[in-house]
Amino acid sequence: MAIMRVNPNRMELLKLKRRGEVATRGHKLLKDKFDELLKEFVARITENRRLRVEVESRLAGAYGLLAIARAEAGRAELAQALLAGVPRDLVSVTERRVMSVRVPEFELGELGKPGGYSLATTPAVLDEALDALYATVPMMIELAEREKAIELLAAEIERTRRRVNALEYVLIPSITETIKDIQMKLDEADRSNLTRLMKVKEIIAAQEEPGESS
Amino acid sequence: MSKVAIIGDSTSVVGFRPLGFAVFAVRRPQDARELWSEVSGGEYGVVFVTEPVYEALGDLIAQSADSPVPAVTVIPGAGNPGGVGEAKLTRAIERALGTTVLTREEGQ
Repeated sequence: MAIMRVNPNRMELLKLKRRGEVATRGHKLLKDKFDELLKEFVARITENRRLRVEVESRLAGAYGLLAIARAEAGRAELAQALLAGVPRDLVSVTERRVMSVRVPEFELGELGKPGGYSLATTPAVLDEALDALYATVPMMIELAEREKAIELLAAEIERTRRRVNALEYVLIPSITETIKDIQMKLDEADRSNLTRLMKVKEIIAAQEEPGESS
Repeated sequence: MSKVAIIGDSTSVVGFRPLGFAVFAVRRPQDARELWSEVSGGEYGVVFVTEPVYEALGDLIAQSADSPVPAVTVIPGAGNPGGVGEAKLTRAIERALGTTVLTREEGQ
């Protein structure tokens, strides 16, 4: 691991030790967050799969009925019958926080009631088809909400994993190594100072000895 | 309150008009690209797209993946086999876990 380019002195050593502590604490926190996110994520996936299968099969049923209606009434008739209806504000969007991820929540307002077309010119199966769609929409909205949450959670999990890994495998080892390096350099300086002092003492002692004897 | 949009071929989407959806019928999936800036502008909370449209708009949809709205959801259009939505989910799992092996086991 790369050692940081810092001056090997006590000041830097203290600073680095403090940084190391913060990094370790941050790593632990992020790791906990990651685990919790993952738990939430996996729990949501299973439920989502079930819902999606259900929505897809219901939609397929409704499309089947629509196809029969089209065959009975003709494409133009059907298109005309379904022209009624204007786009309206169907859902109210609120945001919720799941582990600091902002996920939307949709609440379905009142759906348009299918109808408004001539019952004389359209087949009865059209009513059935629209009823089937009408019944499916709440599930579709729920599916949309859940899938969005899963997407957002996935993005957050990816980000968190990168942070955890960067701390664990890059920053913390590099700080530890640098601390060790500085410590060794300081110890080395200490030892060389000590030997120098011993040497000086010896020299002084040697100088004083002949003086005493004379 | 937000609107709900649905984009796809007319057979798949026309039935949603009486229910109050904003219906965007496109002849070819590629035509939906021009609609996208309007649909993703924030007026719509939920956007449903059929599978061919999702495949044609993959890059545009990916841009809005990290914001809370619009929630883009794939539905199987009329006459499509389905499974694209599942694939989208699998991609999200792969993004989160780095693998899909674990969740496949759980799903079974």
